[in-house]
Amino acid sequence: MIGWLDIPRGWLDSFGDIARFGVRVSGLVYSGRVFKFFGEGLRQAGLLIFGSALIIWAFCFILGLQCGLQGAYFNRSIGAPSLAGLFSAYCDLREGLPYAFGYILAAKVGTGIVAEIGAMRISDEIDALEVMGIQPVTFLCATRLLGAWIALPFLYLVGIGIIYAASFLSVVNQVGDVSSGGYLLIFWMYQSPPDLFFSLIKGMVMSTVIVLVGCYYGYTASGGPVGVGTATAKSMVFNIVAVHILGMLGTLVFWGSNPRAPIGG
Amino acid sequence: MAGQTLSRGLLPVKNVFEEVGVMMILTVKTLISAVRGPYPYGEELVWQFLFVLKLSWFPLVISTFALNLGAPGLQAAGVLSLIGALDRLGGFFVVIAIRWIGPIVTAVVVAGVAGTAITADLGARKIREELDALQVLGVDPVKNLVVPRFLALMVVTALLDIFAIVFGLAAGIAAELLYHQSLGGFFATLFTNATITDLWSSVMMCTMFGAIVAIVCSYKGMSASGGAAGVGRAVNQAVVISLVAVFFFQFVVSSVLLATYPELQAVR
Repeated sequence: MIGWLDIPRGWLDSFGDIARFGVRVSGLVYSGRVFKFFGEGLRQAGLLIFGSALIIWAFCFILGLQCGLQGAYFNRSIGAPSLAGLFSAYCDLREGLPYAFGYILAAKVGTGIVAEIGAMRISDEIDALEVMGIQPVTFLCATRLLGAWIALPFLYLVGIGIIYAASFLSVVNQVGDVSSGGYLLIFWMYQSPPDLFFSLIKGMVMSTVIVLVGCYYGYTASGGPVGVGTATAKSMVFNIVAVHILGMLGTLVFWGSNPRAPIGG
Repeated sequence: MAGQTLSRGLLPVKNVFEEVGVMMILTVKTLISAVRGPYPYGEELVWQFLFVLKLSWFPLVISTFALNLGAPGLQAAGVLSLIGALDRLGGFFVVIAIRWIGPIVTAVVVAGVAGTAITADLGARKIREELDALQVLGVDPVKNLVVPRFLALMVVTALLDIFAIVFGLAAGIAAELLYHQSLGGFFATLFTNATITDLWSSVMMCTMFGAIVAIVCSYKGMSASGGAAGVGRAVNQAVVISLVAVFFFQFVVSSVLLATYPELQAVR
């Protein structure tokens, strides 16, 4: 039976290890040593695109529908249904998409990495790699980070298009208080290229953390087949909280003092 | 030839329908075993309830506070401060914290924290063939393992939703204080806009989320296979399916709810 404080205590225990591991893996990518296994990095990017892209975009679509729906009804309740675009613009680009991306990436990619690398650790394949003279951290973790950095920005940008389309559908077609022209006028007025850039940074920081945490928990898995399951569950707990905290910090840093809305002077 | 290609292309769709069907069967079985006696799961129910609560409370508090401070708090307060209506943030928080983010974050945390633990636990038992051993002993795994988790998760998710709302509103208060606004306006618009429909719909939605997460995670754990990688893969699939199912369900329920309850659309 676990105690009431076991979860925070476990994080305090492992936070330093995760940070050190993350710095080590990012160092391997930045120093270019990962390019010895560039083919493996490309293969991981391909696996991400073919294995996870559809589910990521489907999740973005559902969140876009929700953003549009809540925004449309909120703006109806304050008597300004034509301003539904304001809510959707903020909800889609600044907040909704980074969170949707973080959730589904933690669920699909993060736990997937733990399951893969953890299974390799349990069946002693990682030791075998070391014996063969291949650095396992470079070959398994750094290539996955490289693959994520290659593929995920593009998945994110396509996700922005999908979430916009979903919000449009639910505001204009489902609720229908505002015409499509009126919606799009406000919608495009309340966003700017820097917003897109900041949103992308937010999403990429989240996904980097998720991939690194996944690699850490997979690489340090122990205790047989049961251990892989436990490590997978633990990585999900850590990732969820990390996504929320990074989202809040991103909002504070990028939009905290200046909402950048075209109101007033 | 064309038929073959078509059937191969439709294979993923067929698999999805099969999975959903098997989960439905498990749901019905769970419901029937829950109401039909004897009731041997009382002790396990209390144990699971405490287990999920102890696992989830800390991630939930951090997550709701962070999400509500960032997304609705600072973004909305930024725009509202430009038009000089920061006291309206209270009414906005009714929509966001109670109707939407409360249930959603509770479901995400419960799926990610408790659901993954349930799948890992049941998957480990499946891999070690304990479930088969239970059946040989004449103990029904659905009645003794799935039903207590199902009931416990339904209750805990509804309970945690209240905490999510409380800490979400605390984040709203923090956002007001960051903008040096007095709290009178916030509470005034909050209490005039909040309806009892908001609260019960939020809690009911969370109960259903708990049921969805429990069924998906139990099913994936009990059908885990394939050695060391199997349990990890089961956890992976369970959490993805629960998240997508919960978000889709939330969209459908809030569409119906917002359209059918006019008091949620009133100006106050």
